[in-house]
Amino acid sequence: MRRLYAILVAAGLIYMLFVFLGTLPLYGKVDLSNRVSAHFLAKDVNSVDVKKWVEGDKQVPSREKIYGRKGFEDESANVVTSIVVNYRSFDTLGEVTVLFASAVGIGLVLGGMKRMGYGRKPNFILRVSTGILLPLIIMFGIYIFVHGHLTPGGGFPGGTVIAAAVLLLYLSNEEFVANMKTSKSLEGSMGSLYVIFGLAGLATGGAFLFNFLPNGVVGSLFSAGVVPLVYMTIGLKVGSELSGVVAEIHEEREG
Amino acid sequence: MSANVVIGDILLAIGAFFYFLGGLGILRMPDVYNRLQAGTKATTLGTFSTVLGVGIAKPEFLLKTLIIIAFVALTNPVGSSVLARASYLSGIKPCDCTKVDEYKGGGEE
Repeated sequence: MRRLYAILVAAGLIYMLFVFLGTLPLYGKVDLSNRVSAHFLAKDVNSVDVKKWVEGDKQVPSREKIYGRKGFEDESANVVTSIVVNYRSFDTLGEVTVLFASAVGIGLVLGGMKRMGYGRKPNFILRVSTGILLPLIIMFGIYIFVHGHLTPGGGFPGGTVIAAAVLLLYLSNEEFVANMKTSKSLEGSMGSLYVIFGLAGLATGGAFLFNFLPNGVVGSLFSAGVVPLVYMTIGLKVGSELSGVVAEIHEEREG
Repeated sequence: MSANVVIGDILLAIGAFFYFLGGLGILRMPDVYNRLQAGTKATTLGTFSTVLGVGIAKPEFLLKTLIIIAFVALTNPVGSSVLARASYLSGIKPCDCTKVDEYKGGGEE
């Protein structure tokens, strides 16, 4: 019975594939300006203005905006984040995906069931000072990615600092094992939350990963639109991902 | 030129001098442990002095510089100690001029 269902689903998929292949336009006949990629390219920091690209080499950014003048370019205190999250958000999504793929690869190659021991007791000074330093390091990492749009930093450095805290725990305690289930679920949910922000931008602003929230006063914590939210998701995702990598490096197989 | 700027400049000069001594120690000391000691001691003191000098010359940064000093005081000696222990346990010998080796045998506490 289950095999019958599988065959039905497969037949349906093959039928849909053929139907969609038939509706594809011929090579060279595609109107690129009507495709999503052209809409994405036409995405300005302040608006979505498809006409700018249809007009060819004139490239006049007309004042007619779909979402009005927002000034994301100059209203984020850290200019780099307005480039990374507003102009090149698709690229950042790709980087996050590459990191996810490499973490999966490391898990496949190095993962195991048992925590690897060092064969000797960790340094006494390290063990004592970990208790003092660990909360400070985690707080610093969270500070970096929460304040990514105000100060130098952002999701990737903040997540790396959090992973360094997990590495410190591994180095200072031979019995410590990170909870892989929590880290994996946090990683997955944060990665999909980033895509959900992108889809929300597509629904409200007109382009994938469009900065759809209003930006407040420059320099305050809740400003620059969607940038702090995206950086929080990236920071938590990178932190849990690299913590998982650190945990998998410290694992070994039985025997 | 007010007094706090003068004091800050003097502290900056002292810090730069300690940084110089740290570099000189790394260049001149015979083995890993002596170099580590020279580097850590000199750069810890140099960092304290330069950062405190900045804090005194610009009083609006004083609280931040005190926090930076606390972090350096917490992390720098720990890192140096861990590095020295790891290099000893992985078999790097101290130089021949070493007279006393109190850590012989791996230091089981």
